[in-house]
Amino acid sequence: MHADLASAMVRAAETIYGPVEDLEVLSNQGHSRQSLEQEIARRVERWEGGGLLLTDFWGGSCHVCGAAAARGRGEVLVVTGVNLPVLLDYLHNRDLYPPAELAERLQRKGVESLRVQRGTPA
Amino acid sequence: MSWALVRVDDRLVHGQVLLAWGGRLHPRRIVVADDAAAGSDWERDLLVSGAPGVAVQVVTVAEAAERFSAEASAEGAAFLLLRDLGAALELVRRGAVPARLNLGGLHYAAGKEKVSDYVYLDASDRQAVRELRAAGVSLEVQDVPSSRAVALAELGVEEAR
Repeated sequence: MHADLASAMVRAAETIYGPVEDLEVLSNQGHSRQSLEQEIARRVERWEGGGLLLTDFWGGSCHVCGAAAARGRGEVLVVTGVNLPVLLDYLHNRDLYPPAELAERLQRKGVESLRVQRGTPA
Repeated sequence: MSWALVRVDDRLVHGQVLLAWGGRLHPRRIVVADDAAAGSDWERDLLVSGAPGVAVQVVTVAEAAERFSAEASAEGAAFLLLRDLGAALELVRRGAVPARLNLGGLHYAAGKEKVSDYVYLDASDRQAVRELRAAGVSLEVQDVPSSRAVALAELGVEEAR
């Protein structure tokens, strides 16, 4: 994710979920396309049962490099547009679903999480 | 208005281009001039899908040079993205000479020296800079439109001889 967003998001999630383990954070700061792809690939290649790359937005360098690094590595999917509700849902469900099913669940959660509370008359 | 941004950025299509420059200049088309990406169906599809709502074309540098002047008079704004200074120099050598070249992201790699937080150059990059300047191209370092464009010469990169 951009700047310190990933680590900040995990810190925020920990205040609700509790301590988080087995989740790596990575910033795109200072990375070229090649070096970011390598950093992601270095992590993904250890995932025997596949897994998810959670990134901030579609079309960003983390998405593009993540998709490139995940190529040919089995069930590794990129989920973009991740927000705090999505991250919390991931933490609660990551052991219950295989990666592809979990990714679809997170997509639905992300869409559901964006709502507008309209002002009401006094 | 056509070429609204001609940019050297090793990340090609990414957030600063789509959201910051795209939000300011509203390109109708993004031309990615990159031989490696143009030669890979998979890479081409990835770059095209990365920018929903904008027509992305991934072509070789030679093809971009051929289209350069026709695109310059086309309707609507367009962006041209190049991966490195070598590609920019090839474009110019093929007769497509942008007045201004935006340096938006040339990140650290072994052998490259820091010029700014997001521009690192090696000897062959500096040679390309000299040749680009000699061809009349003005080189500016600027990551996003809200930051100030700084002439590369102001950052201690030697002048053309």
